[in-house]
Amino acid sequence: MNKKLIICALITFISLPNLADDETTLSGAELINNNCARCHNSRPVREFSISEWRVIMPHMREKAHLTGSEVKAILEFMEIASSPAQPVEVTLAKSLTVNPRDVLTRYGCQGCHQVQGVGGSLGPALDDVIEGKGEAFFIKKVKEPQFNNAASAMPQMPITDEEIAALVDYLNSL
Amino acid sequence: MRLHKGVLHAMIFVAGMITSSPLLASETTDRFVFVGYGDVKYESADVADTDAFSARFVPIFLFSLNDKMHVEAELEFGLDENGETETELEYADIHYFLNDNTTLTAGKFLLPFGQFSANWHPSWINRSIWTPGVYGAHGSSQAMDPLLPILSDVGVAAQQVYQVGSAKVFVDVFMTNGPRSEAAHDEEEIEDDHDDLIARFFAPSAAADPDSEEDGHGEAFPEVEFEATSSDNNSNKAFGGRLAIALLPSIEIGTSYYQGAYDEQGQLDITANGFDINFISTHAIIRGEYIKTETDSFVERDHEQTIDSFSRNGWFLQGTFFVGHAFQSLGSTELVLEYAETNKIEEAERWMVGVNYWLDPRSVIKVGYEDTDVVEGPDDTRFAVQFSYGF
Repeated sequence: MNKKLIICALITFISLPNLADDETTLSGAELINNNCARCHNSRPVREFSISEWRVIMPHMREKAHLTGSEVKAILEFMEIASSPAQPVEVTLAKSLTVNPRDVLTRYGCQGCHQVQGVGGSLGPALDDVIEGKGEAFFIKKVKEPQFNNAASAMPQMPITDEEIAALVDYLNSL
Repeated sequence: MRLHKGVLHAMIFVAGMITSSPLLASETTDRFVFVGYGDVKYESADVADTDAFSARFVPIFLFSLNDKMHVEAELEFGLDENGETETELEYADIHYFLNDNTTLTAGKFLLPFGQFSANWHPSWINRSIWTPGVYGAHGSSQAMDPLLPILSDVGVAAQQVYQVGSAKVFVDVFMTNGPRSEAAHDEEEIEDDHDDLIARFFAPSAAADPDSEEDGHGEAFPEVEFEATSSDNNSNKAFGGRLAIALLPSIEIGTSYYQGAYDEQGQLDITANGFDINFISTHAIIRGEYIKTETDSFVERDHEQTIDSFSRNGWFLQGTFFVGHAFQSLGSTELVLEYAETNKIEEAERWMVGVNYWLDPRSVIKVGYEDTDVVEGPDDTRFAVQFSYGF
């Protein structure tokens, strides 16, 4: 009797539908912010190759209770974070075309940092970071995320000087 | 379990060849990854009168068979006090991803009871050098008698993840071989072998009267053994699970259940209920678990044998504070405080204080001191320095 009950409960449990769509609404950066630090420091994205992450993430899927679509979003973000920076010829005309909001989105900054009250909590809010710590600190932190904290989970993004400059202007304007 | 050194060296050599060979790597890089963790520890323990270095190496082998199936196995290598290599299969299982939010698991897997066994036990993840007293030693002897010294078991499990609004709900269920009664150990073995996955639930002998044991502190009771094996001493499987809600990234709260018959007739159960919490903020992490166990045992009243239950409970709360956030000159330094206690039988309480310094996100040097006050037995103090790394 006991076994039958267990089997029935298992079948019912597995048959229950998810209450949300399969596609996650969170970005890969937000998912890293939300899940990795629950147990451990986030590992640097570049510690493993993307093909290695593709084997590691199914392991973490079960450990961290991630869905398949969440794993997919995280891997997509890792691909962006691990791709080499594309050198851009800095010109006045080009710098004017860089939209800082697009930069924040492209590199998932708000996955871990708040900007104007929107974003994750793994890292500090960015609104006052330049005012508080200076432009030089901000630029160095973006280029070398572990320079002031060896345990920092912030990935080294393939961000260009032009994009950093656009972020500096934007954050100064807040 | 002891492994011949030659066999161990051969295994490590083969693993090294597999992971380092450019030819194989290029062909298998999408299927196989070799990760893991390890630690080196210096510990000075009062009661055990030990003062020594120790080391562990814990490789994890990951295989992706395809998008639906994933194999994982974790081995633990260590040295015992006689210089013999000890090895343990922590887990070896296969996951089948049934759909986007359902995972089926079969094999020897980490038991989803609470969070310590399933998620926090690796030394580069556990903020303390030592295992919480309610869970037993797991690689480090300790003075507290554990409530549920079970890390993994053999069987099947299913996991379901639901997104409910902004919250996530986790449901885990499992069925495993479960515990078994342990034949009486000689006293010396019980005293010395804290690493065995044995819980002293103090199920009394037939002549015992549970009423007289409410204050605990009985002796010579049969023990219950949890070490996973590929056999079962009865036809009743252990079963249980965990239900948790997570408001990410800040908080996860869970409740767990475990029930298993441990005698050969399948009449005597061990039941455990647990509650766990994990609170994460920018400046601190608070982790804690409460466990209550009920252990059946035959007792004799008025010349009749009946089944009675003996209750124990205990909890731990661990706070990790990122002091480097408040004082930037301290960089990646953390302060760790932990309190644990076990009640009713084998009462004890423990304070632990530690300082961690992270060299990078997966390598940490921990310095810790703990003071255990055992009601019926010798108190214990320990000091240790541990270098833990994940790779």
